[in-house]
Amino acid sequence: MSGQMNNEALSTEIVDDAIIVHGDIDMAGSPVLEGAIIQQESAGHRVVIDLADVFFIDSSGLRCLLAASRRGQTNGATVILRSVGHEVRRLLEITGTTEQFDIQSDRE
Amino acid sequence: MSDDTSASVSSIDPIVLILPPRPELSRVARLASSALASIAGCTVDEIEDIKIAVSEILIALIEHGDQRAVRLEFSFDADTFVVVGTTETESFDLDDPDLGLCRTVLEGVGATPLIAVVDGTASITASVSRAITN
Repeated sequence: MSGQMNNEALSTEIVDDAIIVHGDIDMAGSPVLEGAIIQQESAGHRVVIDLADVFFIDSSGLRCLLAASRRGQTNGATVILRSVGHEVRRLLEITGTTEQFDIQSDRE
Repeated sequence: MSDDTSASVSSIDPIVLILPPRPELSRVARLASSALASIAGCTVDEIEDIKIAVSEILIALIEHGDQRAVRLEFSFDADTFVVVGTTETESFDLDDPDLGLCRTVLEGVGATPLIAVVDGTASITASVSRAITN
């Protein structure tokens, strides 16, 4: 994260060791999410991402999630996605990457 | 513009948006495209596809271009909503895997991408088909 500009479009918070994402996971938001993921990994936590408040994701966001998935798989841990909306699910399906994640629930 | 009283119009002259190559401006471009698609009478699903197409075009041109301004041109008619993104570049790698992912996503939303580099200008054209409405 550069710290030079605030990214009002995406923010994250940690609740019960899960990363709660708010906003668009796009070119600007992906580095913010990546920082949160790496922080969780560094703390030894399994990566759990709640996407209930995510209504847009593009390939830059997907690359961020796939990178976390690859890192997790080297340690035998799959990235967990919770409250997945149709926007995220559709991108996973388009790119054939759904099986890279443990999708625990869809957004209600 | 149309002289009838409907909220949408069937076609419009191209609208151009020129953006510095800053990732945070992708959101601005999506908002603009969303508003135009709404004026065009696109469905919610079509608007979502157009927003993804705009975002993918910007990813490709900003991440793989030479950090120069990106020109986005929006146009539509009764059948399609077209987004054309261009940037001047001397090092655009058409075979980069990340660009392949952009292409896959564009194809996945039915945006029929056409990616080319001609005379130092990279261009990506995405045409999103519109539902036939009466």
